[in-house]
Amino acid sequence: MSPLAALLSPAHLLAANGLVLPHVNYTAIMPELILLGGMLLLLGISAVSPRHLPTQVYATATAGIGIASLIASLVLWHDVQKGGPFSAVARAVDIDGFATLVLVLCSCVVILGAFFAAGFLEREQVQGVEYYALALISASGAMLMGSANDLILVFLGLEILSIPLYVMAGLDQRRAASGEAAMKYFLLGAFSSAVFVYGIALTYGATGSTNLASIGSFLAQNVVVSNGVLLGGLALLLVGFGFKVAAVPFHMWTPDVYAGSPTPAVGFMAAVAKIGAFGALLRVLFSTFPTLRTSWQPILWALAILTLLLGALVAVVQRDVKRMLAYSSINHAGFILLGVQAGTSRGAEASLYYLFVYSVLVLGTFGVVAVVGGRGDEGHGIERYRGLAHRRPLLAGSMAVLLLAQAGAPFTTGFFSKLYVIEASIAAHSYALATVAMLSAAIATFFYLRLVFAMFGERAGRQASVAVPVAPAGAGAPGGAAGQFPPVGTLPAGPAVASAAGVLTLERAAGLVDPGRAEAAAVADDDAGPVVADADLQVSPWVWVGLALCVGTTVVLGIWPSPLVDFARHATLLF
Amino acid sequence: MSVHASWYLVLAAVLFSIGAVGLLVRRNVLVMFMCIELMLNAANLTFVTFSRALNDIGGQVAVFFVLVVAAAEVVVGLGIIVAIYRRRVGATADDAHILKG
Amino acid sequence: MGSLDSYLPILFLFVLAFGFTAFSLAASKLLAPQRPTAAKEAPYECGIVPSHEPPQRFPVRFYLVSMIFVIFDIEVIFLFPWAVVYGQLGRFGLVEIIVFAAAVFFSFVYLVSNGALDWGPLKRVQRVVRPIGGRTSQSTVRRIGSSSDEAA
Repeated sequence: MSPLAALLSPAHLLAANGLVLPHVNYTAIMPELILLGGMLLLLGISAVSPRHLPTQVYATATAGIGIASLIASLVLWHDVQKGGPFSAVARAVDIDGFATLVLVLCSCVVILGAFFAAGFLEREQVQGVEYYALALISASGAMLMGSANDLILVFLGLEILSIPLYVMAGLDQRRAASGEAAMKYFLLGAFSSAVFVYGIALTYGATGSTNLASIGSFLAQNVVVSNGVLLGGLALLLVGFGFKVAAVPFHMWTPDVYAGSPTPAVGFMAAVAKIGAFGALLRVLFSTFPTLRTSWQPILWALAILTLLLGALVAVVQRDVKRMLAYSSINHAGFILLGVQAGTSRGAEASLYYLFVYSVLVLGTFGVVAVVGGRGDEGHGIERYRGLAHRRPLLAGSMAVLLLAQAGAPFTTGFFSKLYVIEASIAAHSYALATVAMLSAAIATFFYLRLVFAMFGERAGRQASVAVPVAPAGAGAPGGAAGQFPPVGTLPAGPAVASAAGVLTLERAAGLVDPGRAEAAAVADDDAGPVVADADLQVSPWVWVGLALCVGTTVVLGIWPSPLVDFARHATLLF
Repeated sequence: MSVHASWYLVLAAVLFSIGAVGLLVRRNVLVMFMCIELMLNAANLTFVTFSRALNDIGGQVAVFFVLVVAAAEVVVGLGIIVAIYRRRVGATADDAHILKG
Repeated sequence: MGSLDSYLPILFLFVLAFGFTAFSLAASKLLAPQRPTAAKEAPYECGIVPSHEPPQRFPVRFYLVSMIFVIFDIEVIFLFPWAVVYGQLGRFGLVEIIVFAAAVFFSFVYLVSNGALDWGPLKRVQRVVRPIGGRTSQSTVRRIGSSSDEAA
């Protein structure tokens, strides 16, 4: 009997002669509830407010919601450290160190993402709550994936994560590329989720349960008769995860989607999708299929090698910075796979640490790219970066730190993250893999440094101009008083709400519901000439705050790494 | 004449393959979309069959969730398609050519 | 083959339906007098001769409403099993379904407030003030003056 069934199928309970009501432990799913409840509250506020609120209000509220869920996650972390891991909601949710670390990570991404989005939406003069609402739903999906103890819940989390991301990719309807990115992401994403759910079905058939722990104990005790079905299911699950994390044979969508989507959405997408997918992948492989290690390790080995090499090699020839960073993110996915492939708790720890570091780095990097892209979000050629250090030294300096950290320079978190995964790989005797990883890191250094040299190299373009900094009135908004929306009912409603918000957003962006936007877009097209105006490079205070957080984390934790490392170690200790 | 469970499984596998191949081969976005639905429903059929064979209701509950997710995907997917192709004549994947790859 | 016997009426119905259709079409072809004229061939037998094809697409508004319908239609999937055992579930079931309904309701409020369900001419609930960046009197004047191909 799957516990999810026990939880959500009243029909079965009737058949079972007397109802056994599951106990819903609300604190166990509090971070998700805060995000979803906060999102509903934001939607409600935007609906009843007589006129459009400025985007800063929503950003403040989103950051507040993120902080509230961060606090709830840390409380859970504390509980787990004190009282040990526990299962909740009829064993569908597993709260252990690993899950709480993923919760913390997602909360941080929400907060940082809100800052970068505020700066971008402010410049593009896009009003509305949609971006923030979608980001909150998406992050709650990633949280669900990290703490799920049931394959169906993993699937639900995957969809709650992905569906808002499809819409976010297509949010910028002024550029045709954005719509195309959304379509490509959607088609391939839906394909991968269909493959994933078929994999779940086969696994269920072979083991008789969708509960991760039950499958694990079943496999430990029994010799599975229909081994083909089980292996097929596992392979399909891996394909589904591979799509989400952009591992190489399944990476085709990444460069296009990253190049087409609105830039801050790309940073958010890269961070949150990787956290969710890798979180679930680690949990599924380590707690459910440890007995099949000999089957999945070679698959991951091949995936990791391809991902590492292709990501690094193709990034070298890119001229568009967003495409280059897309391939660099593929390369990073390869590094994280290294830790997964090791199959040890040390590997899981290294992967988690890498995820944390990567999320911060990718958010910050795309935050800078969004600023340099200028109004209209079109200027992403590498020539835009030439001489940036002379015009905007602070911006270029931050970008340089973030890029060097991605390359793995010492005294940054990036160095340790690469070190740990390679270490874990060597400890698991995957010497060839570790060698390839180091080789690809060397190749990757080349294209990161090329961008850094472009920024700090020759002076190009015009002199520093009178860039008037935008001074938004940081309007205070109700923060995270949104935790009171209870639980399980919201989970199945998640995708539905996401799609309700999504379809309307798309319609409105396309000028169907609201023609004002189309008019604004037309005017913007007229004004956005090919001239690279320095006045374009306005950096909103919101972006500065986000960048300060990213760069600060990268450098401080790079010089003094023990807190974060201990965090990751404790997370996997009880795994 | 009794119908064995494996027949349904084979049927589901065939449907899934048709969907997967169709998605990769066809160029019309709406048809690709239908292929995705076919794949999801093949998974549903598998769930129900196993649920029956294992005498466990869990598989049938899973179908509920897959259905809801499929509906949400339909809505968002059609929204994206309509938003893009309002400015174009036909709905072919090859028309989306601004992004290479 | 005993189990297939129950399908026999359906098969019979199929045969009957096809037979009736075929018979009707054939009979009308054979029996009706056929004297076509130009007026009869026209798409509309009376009224103004159409100068162009009627628009192929129908308003996207229909599509929007139908998509919203699909969402709320699917929500019912969860309501049916709940309703079957509502009595036994007691307070737990009530709380859960209220939460569920609230989540859907909030998104519905959002849809309504954004005018997704407004039929007829566009009428927005919210007055949107959109600052149009970079638009000066100079650029606007130049825009209108220089675009000669634009039929004003």
